[in-house]
Amino acid sequence: MSENENNQRKAWENSVESVIKRFPERKEKFTTSSDIEVERLYTERKKDDTAEYPGLYPYTRGIQPTMYRGRFWTMRQYAGFGSATETNKRFRYLLEQGQTGLSVAFDLPTQIGYDSDDIMAEGEVGKVGVAIDSLEDMEKLLDRIPLDKVSTSMTINAPASVLLCMYIAVGEKQGVPLEKLTGTIQNDILKEYIARGTYIYPPKPSMRLITNIFEYCQKHVPKFNTISISGYHIREAGSNAVQEAAFTIANGMAYVDAALESGLDIDSFAPRLAFFFNAHNNFFEEVAKFRAARRIWAKLMKEHYKAKDPKSWKMRFHTQTGGSTLTAQQPDNNIVRVTLQALAAVMGGTQSLHTNSRDEALSLPTEDSARIALRTQQIIAHESGVADTIDPLGGSYYVEQLTDKMEAEINAYLDRIKEIGGAVQAVEEGYMQREIHQNAYETQKNIEKEEEIIVGLNKFTLEEEIDPDLLKVDETLEKAQIDAISNIRNSRDQAKVDKALSVLRENAKKTDSNLIPYILDAVKTYATIGEICNVLRDEFGEYAGI
Amino acid sequence: MGKIRVLVAKPGLDGHDRGALVISQALRDRGMEVIYTGLRQSPAQIAQAAVQEDVDVIGLSSLSGAHKSLFPKVIGELAKRNASDIPVIGGGVIPSEDISFLLENGIKKIFTSGASTEAMANYIEELIDPKKESPKPPEKIAHIGIAVKQIDAVLPFYTDTLGLTLEGVEKVDSEGVKVAFLKIGETRFELLEPVNENSPIQEFLSKKGEGIHHIALEVDNLHERLQRLKTEGISMINDEPKNGAHDSKIAFIHPKAANGVLFELCEHNSRGEA
Repeated sequence: MSENENNQRKAWENSVESVIKRFPERKEKFTTSSDIEVERLYTERKKDDTAEYPGLYPYTRGIQPTMYRGRFWTMRQYAGFGSATETNKRFRYLLEQGQTGLSVAFDLPTQIGYDSDDIMAEGEVGKVGVAIDSLEDMEKLLDRIPLDKVSTSMTINAPASVLLCMYIAVGEKQGVPLEKLTGTIQNDILKEYIARGTYIYPPKPSMRLITNIFEYCQKHVPKFNTISISGYHIREAGSNAVQEAAFTIANGMAYVDAALESGLDIDSFAPRLAFFFNAHNNFFEEVAKFRAARRIWAKLMKEHYKAKDPKSWKMRFHTQTGGSTLTAQQPDNNIVRVTLQALAAVMGGTQSLHTNSRDEALSLPTEDSARIALRTQQIIAHESGVADTIDPLGGSYYVEQLTDKMEAEINAYLDRIKEIGGAVQAVEEGYMQREIHQNAYETQKNIEKEEEIIVGLNKFTLEEEIDPDLLKVDETLEKAQIDAISNIRNSRDQAKVDKALSVLRENAKKTDSNLIPYILDAVKTYATIGEICNVLRDEFGEYAGI
Repeated sequence: MGKIRVLVAKPGLDGHDRGALVISQALRDRGMEVIYTGLRQSPAQIAQAAVQEDVDVIGLSSLSGAHKSLFPKVIGELAKRNASDIPVIGGGVIPSEDISFLLENGIKKIFTSGASTEAMANYIEELIDPKKESPKPPEKIAHIGIAVKQIDAVLPFYTDTLGLTLEGVEKVDSEGVKVAFLKIGETRFELLEPVNENSPIQEFLSKKGEGIHHIALEVDNLHERLQRLKTEGISMINDEPKNGAHDSKIAFIHPKAANGVLFELCEHNSRGEA
């Protein structure tokens, strides 16, 4: 520091001291959501390493050399409810409104591999997403949507292989070459055990299905993202920002390890790994999280896994704004929260973004609310000017130092998980689940003690609440879906179905067999998701929880 | 009575158990025994577990929208096992228009997004142990407090124009005020004059001018009542009773808890004394 700077610093410190005596600060200690202490002021700090640039290792400032000056992020709203036909209408509406990619929400029976007429599906059909029982539903879902032009993200995990095969089968029927299909399947089973709960099989066979998908897609569907390693649900389950990034990266390493163990070459699958993060309200912490995560992943891939292809080093991610930050009280306030969170995602260099609708704490979003959410992104993109330069917060004393601090804290968690024996072991022991739960409980206590302020919930509350219009899923849908499935069972060639399922069963028994071609064959005979998953349940067993 | 036993259960297929887990721990911290079923429990499994574990209450959590079909099924399964005496409460993402349907179908109470764990714990304690029922509602207005700059200047309006009887004037040092009581029927006006610059009445006068300052409610068991309000998350100006005029114990509720009205809770040691 020059003498002049030194004097300025002293003068400022002295004035702080005298001001604080008369007017104490709002809090004794300021912290981020991850309990990192926030200093009063950040000033320049000389770093040894050379300056970082976007598009260059370790990608702290973004994975592309021009970022949003070239192309905005993909605006991708998660949608899906009720029947495939209804959802198809919403999709085509969203595409007309300027959305650039599709994102499919499936109902819970589909996500857990049950047909709509299964006893376990009672009351759940079409509730949180679209019900898909057989290829016929997928054909309706994607009707008149050109799969060579639209990329589709599917939030599907345990039965990801089945839905992927249905998508491929529809693509074939549309005459789209497989190598032109683009999209993402979530396919991240570890976070299901940790936070989201829609698992079917135990970890080991689940990891096998995932590496089968890696291998198949690399050969046949090379533009499809084979996994979206998700911190989103870990955060929603109650983790803080550091834990979100750390557990996600740890899970990512477990998938890489499994693929390497099955004999794949790192650079053959690593470029197709995608990530999925959350964006909460603590603005700078979120930006720093994205920057730190990118840097850590790049270093891991290059130095630890020895990947040679720069594409393997780049952490590409989707972001969704934080559902759990939304309040049922004064729901219009949520528009403002979503705006801040979306801005953090953009400042953090996201590749695609879902903005939540204001009414999500109350029910599934209405069309009006979904449109405002999309408009929020469009306003950020087209009006705010924040996308006109790359990484505009880069070089901010605070953001840079917070990025370094988060990198260190995330790495500390990664070390701990390594000591336990890796993410799969940590999941089986319940380590991450406990950490997340503890943080969720502390958060709730802080809100109830008003140490954490949530506007409209524990401060600035209103006595009268307006009941907004809510989306209702048609209660007769369950019956219609059950009728459709029995039509399919009556009209298809049952012998072909039985044959395909028995071939799948034989191959499931052989641990070195890639199951995807057999699942694809079964899907094409109109075997249902429940029938396919039940074969694998028989062979693999079911995960019972901890 | 032993510990209250609670079964926290997740019917249906959704895996969002953050709420169920946080509530389980909060109830444990309140001294209850909590059994959590884990995910994906059928109504029959839940009823069976409730009977086997001999619980006092069942809490259901659902975020998938399946509550309307699944919650009443749990009630039905309990009936099949002659266990309809086990009360069932529920929570999660439940639209307000579904609540009356659920209450009509045997659910005792629905807590929705934003409800505090304290309120749930209180509700369960009262449900199980009616001895701990809510204290009696206040039965009368002890007095209406009116802030004035000078008692002497306004007294003639009350005594001469309205013809009320002045019961007495006293100083309450703890509040920095001089008070005059005027009896009106069962209740009183309390005129409040600040005696120094630090008096809250002085602050009130400079912010809002003269006028109605607070309403005092006559209550019993002030100490216990305060404990309770605190656990319910009601903002208080005074967490503990303090001395008021006429040898009473008093405490003020923060006006933000009552949309801008300042309420005083007031307990008199011996009633009838003027």
